[in-house]
Amino acid sequence: MILPAHNEEESLPVTLDELRRKAPDVAVLVVDDGSRDATARIARERGVPVVSHAVNLGVGGALQTGFRWALRHGYDIGVQLDADGQHDPGHLHALLAPILRGECDVSIGSRYVARTGYRAPVARRLGMVLFSGVVQLAVGQRITDTTSGYRAYDRAVMEICQYDFPKDFPDAPLLIDLARRGFRLAEVPIEMRAREAGRSFYTLGKSLYYPYKNLLASLMVLLKRPG
Amino acid sequence: MEFLSRTQIISALAAVGLALYVLDLVRRRRLSEEYSFLWVVASAAVAILGFSTPLLRAITRTLGILYEASTVFFLGLAFATAMLLYLSVKLSRLGQENHALTRELALLRFELEELRGARPAGTPPAGGGGPA
Repeated sequence: MILPAHNEEESLPVTLDELRRKAPDVAVLVVDDGSRDATARIARERGVPVVSHAVNLGVGGALQTGFRWALRHGYDIGVQLDADGQHDPGHLHALLAPILRGECDVSIGSRYVARTGYRAPVARRLGMVLFSGVVQLAVGQRITDTTSGYRAYDRAVMEICQYDFPKDFPDAPLLIDLARRGFRLAEVPIEMRAREAGRSFYTLGKSLYYPYKNLLASLMVLLKRPG
Repeated sequence: MEFLSRTQIISALAAVGLALYVLDLVRRRRLSEEYSFLWVVASAAVAILGFSTPLLRAITRTLGILYEASTVFFLGLAFATAMLLYLSVKLSRLGQENHALTRELALLRFELEELRGARPAGTPPAGGGGPA
């Protein structure tokens, strides 16, 4: 269980406590991505191992660190879970099921596969439709929730991703890249909640850069020869 | 033989001055040879064009530019653009390396703390927080 956390001191305690309650037998790692608050201390106080970046690298960098940690500690599946409390650890078994059954390599907890309680802002929804379309065009598979931060990756995927991973937004381009490498993706309906506290990684300032970056990166992944 | 225009002389002298300064930076090890190369070549080019009117004339005519001085500035601007692009590439690579190092450092620090045994809860992480 990998939790990328950047200044999440407010929501982290709730998330960690819920994790312990609902998934007590799962190893948890907090990747403190250059936080300037008590994020790392809060996790340590709860006995959760913490890997701390000296500077802020972004979600992608935090995940990459998490993958390498998981691989070095011999784990076969890595699960990404947002520290802000949006994701219910109670869905963990549903998320893991397709990987455990050997049906896919990456399992994505999706807000949109089935009708769930989640309603995103309009701009966000537009982006979701756009990048869902980009992924479908690129790999011929429908992934409705490309930005989900609740995903499970098997060992083979983590092996690749520990070296080659998008730095800031591990979304559509990552999924396209993985699909073209021959990994199978699957979506699992998940309910998401509003954030507990803190700031989303996707802030207003990034809202212009985000579509540009991910469209360009998606294109580049497509131009790259599948390997 | 025509007289050199004032603009030509000034840009040529500036180019020579720049080349000397770049070489001095290299001598004092403030600038690596790799980066100095482009600067020296470029300032040499401007200096040559500044002194050699026929060559500058020929280039100006070929490019369809009206004034010789404009050619010098055009080439300078082209060089500056190329240099900026080159630096952006270098910066991207530096960023990637920095990224990888930060991740590896974090993992190594984790392992170090593990090896030292469980630290008492509530103690700040080694090296965390304060600036280096």
